[in-house]
Amino acid sequence: MKYLSWAYLVALFGFILLPVVTLVIFSFQDGRLPVPPFKGVTFEWYAEILTDRAMMEALGNSLIVALLSSLVALTLGFLAASGLARVVLPGSVVMRGLLIAPMTVSYLIIALGLLQMFNKVGIRPSLLATGIGHVVINLPLCFAILYAAIGEHQKSALKAARDLGAREWQVLWFVAAPMLTPALAAAFFLAFTFSWDEFIIAFLLTRFDVTLPVEIWSMLRSGLSPATNAVGSLVFLVSVIVVVALELTLFRKGSK
Amino acid sequence: MALKHTCSILAVTAGLTSALASAAQAEDLNALIWCDHADPELLQPFEEAHDVRVNVKEYEGTAAGLTLLEQSRPGDWDVMVIDAVDVGRAVERGLLAPLPVDQLATDSYFPEAVLADHTTVDGTTYAVTEKFGYNTIAYNKAAVDPADMASLDALWSGKYDGRIAIYDYYLPVLGLVGLEAGIDTADLGADTLETIREPLMKLNAASKQVSDVVGSQTALATGEVDVLIGGGEWLTAVLNAENPDLDWTIPEEGGLLWAQSLAIVEGTEKPELALEFIKYITSPEGQARLATSSCYWGMPANKAAGDVLTDEQKAILRWDDQPDYLSRAQLYPVPDADTDAAMQDLWTDMLQN
Amino acid sequence: MSIEKQEKRQGATLVAPALLWTLGFFVIPFAAMVMMSLAHLEGREIVQGHDLGNYLRIFTDPSLRRGIFVSLEITAVVTVISVLLAWPLAWIIATRVPARWRRMALLLAVLPFWTSYVVRSYSWALVLGEKGVVMNALVGLGLLAEPVQIMATRSATIIGFVHFFVMLLTLTIYSNLIQLSPNYARAAEDLGASKWQVIRLVILPLTLPGVMTGAFLTFVLCIGDYITPQILGGNNELTLPQLIMLQLGRRGDFPMASALSVVLMVIVTLAYAACARWLKMERV
Repeated sequence: MKYLSWAYLVALFGFILLPVVTLVIFSFQDGRLPVPPFKGVTFEWYAEILTDRAMMEALGNSLIVALLSSLVALTLGFLAASGLARVVLPGSVVMRGLLIAPMTVSYLIIALGLLQMFNKVGIRPSLLATGIGHVVINLPLCFAILYAAIGEHQKSALKAARDLGAREWQVLWFVAAPMLTPALAAAFFLAFTFSWDEFIIAFLLTRFDVTLPVEIWSMLRSGLSPATNAVGSLVFLVSVIVVVALELTLFRKGSK
Repeated sequence: MALKHTCSILAVTAGLTSALASAAQAEDLNALIWCDHADPELLQPFEEAHDVRVNVKEYEGTAAGLTLLEQSRPGDWDVMVIDAVDVGRAVERGLLAPLPVDQLATDSYFPEAVLADHTTVDGTTYAVTEKFGYNTIAYNKAAVDPADMASLDALWSGKYDGRIAIYDYYLPVLGLVGLEAGIDTADLGADTLETIREPLMKLNAASKQVSDVVGSQTALATGEVDVLIGGGEWLTAVLNAENPDLDWTIPEEGGLLWAQSLAIVEGTEKPELALEFIKYITSPEGQARLATSSCYWGMPANKAAGDVLTDEQKAILRWDDQPDYLSRAQLYPVPDADTDAAMQDLWTDMLQN
Repeated sequence: MSIEKQEKRQGATLVAPALLWTLGFFVIPFAAMVMMSLAHLEGREIVQGHDLGNYLRIFTDPSLRRGIFVSLEITAVVTVISVLLAWPLAWIIATRVPARWRRMALLLAVLPFWTSYVVRSYSWALVLGEKGVVMNALVGLGLLAEPVQIMATRSATIIGFVHFFVMLLTLTIYSNLIQLSPNYARAAEDLGASKWQVIRLVILPLTLPGVMTGAFLTFVLCIGDYITPQILGGNNELTLPQLIMLQLGRRGDFPMASALSVVLMVIVTLAYAACARWLKMERV
């Protein structure tokens, strides 16, 4: 059983890592096509995408949209979670259900609904529209994580602060937020990741200023090239560095 | 402590906002285009000469492009690339502005590529052609017998079953299937459409995949398929350096001529700049860059581009064979809305079976 | 009493922004989409109406109807395979891998999460092609006489999906497994259960919530995905999202795209209802 376990582990790791490894290797392909045979190493594809204006702008756009939409989703989720954890309101269950609901709906449907509504009220497809969509998908996530993180201990601490005469915003800012820092960080990190990598909402709700996944998609549609591998590898590399850094700092203490 | 946090958040937000604002400041030209117009090498000279920024948005298929325009507000778009044969459809819906064609250098155009019948409605010109080429058969001459490619019959003969890819755009491929069935593209309408259903389904059964530009390029270049119906120089030219065995031909039944045109969108707030852009694209330099743009190659509509293109580029474009090709190619089918819907339904049926 | 009232008012004030956001950008757009699905296209004009013509067409037009089945089949196969592959992986990482390497192993198991989602499907296209790495290796090792076609078939779509969802399910099942007290297993062993019996009768049932949550997420994400089948499926059959995008991108037929989306939504809701009792969505 022991050998079987290890064999299984290795086999599955192979399956999981195969496409990524291939992607990275052929980003160095010295030729027009990122398929075997491997013709030698070149960095020209990396140079090409790093000097690609549209690609770099898309990168910047993605960062801005991910950052701002996650902050908004986090703030709304935090307020809602502390509100619902504080008192039992009439219809609490319905409210919770409503806040969670977008999580069970395909992104495509959310995108299509927003596209039609924005069309009607005359909001142009833009990064703003995309950001609004990303808050819709990330709000449930942030809310759920934070709501789950507020336990009895936290509730009594908040109550104590209020009984001592703290104002509501003081309670939230000085007591609740510091207490919930790990959950806030986790929620923000997840929301950021989802927004950063989201395609269909950004595809349908942008026009000229696009996010990185949309730019990669149009690059993919306009010709086969190792440059696509290079973009993918770069994004992968940077993300892994961030994840490992977080793993070593932020989440180390919180984990078992 | 908290104050410090607030300040840093404010600083970040302010920084981002100003970055956003500055990006939006330069004058913009908004263009609804096909992917060949997104090439920086094509756009940059114009952007630098006029100190503007050309924003491009790609679209796929005339129906989708028209929907996009209809859902936008006047002024959202300045210029548009559109299939020359579809200019009438756009004009009918009031989406295009008249084009002062006398200011454009169309004297040196290939006469067959002007397509004035299509770009002019009731005596007013609304668009100017810019690039053309053919949807026919592209193939790997190392893997198939080039003699077979002289006739479309080869694709239905069974010899190449499982080695065929179909280009995923319904108009040219339905046109080609029509040619095989002996129907001219101009006669492909609601009544004749059903007669090509069976050959289309047979073609689909013989094919390995139905794919977009990249999928087709990949499949042909890597040898997953050996024949692409709907392909042409626009597909093989880019890959020429990588695989010189990739070739294309116009079979005896004929091929389809595609021609894209450029138009000013009705309601633009920058008609002068839009016209300047069209002037640039139709100039010999612009034409040469467009002909060899990164997404796909194609013949420039303006013959004068021949002075700018290198001999090698002209060889790949098969510059000298154009008179023969042009005489044998037919235009895209021009369906009305209902026929268009019927064609798309037929195409969906093919994809789904 | 008045304090309680004030508490409630403050609580409501805190919830209000999130509720309004959800209402304005989720509920209302969805309602607008349902309205749109009752309209139809006349020529190129969208005519608002109140007929079920689009829905009727979805269930009578063989191509559209087949889209539902294609989607359901692919999603079902993907969900089952992913669970079957992920459970042992999560279990091995949680119990067999030494504790100090555990997080490292988990991180490695989900590493490709951080490639761009579009690029992930694309890289499978490169791997699975006839000239791709896999075929090259199999033919080179003499395991295959000649390459077989995987790319541009349903198998390619399924492999691309399974790859992603094995990672996702490994995470949800792992987090469920490490919360289990080892005492359960020990108790069962003390009572004479074999290792397999312990897994089958004790651990497996206890991980059901994790499995079901992951399976439901897999179902929702898989059935709503456009990119993977579009890149890997070779357009030889169309899933619901592909049909929706076809209506949008090629025809500008918003009413039909909306109707198909409503159908998609109903399917997901049914799936949710079917496994709701195992799900704790609020604790994902």
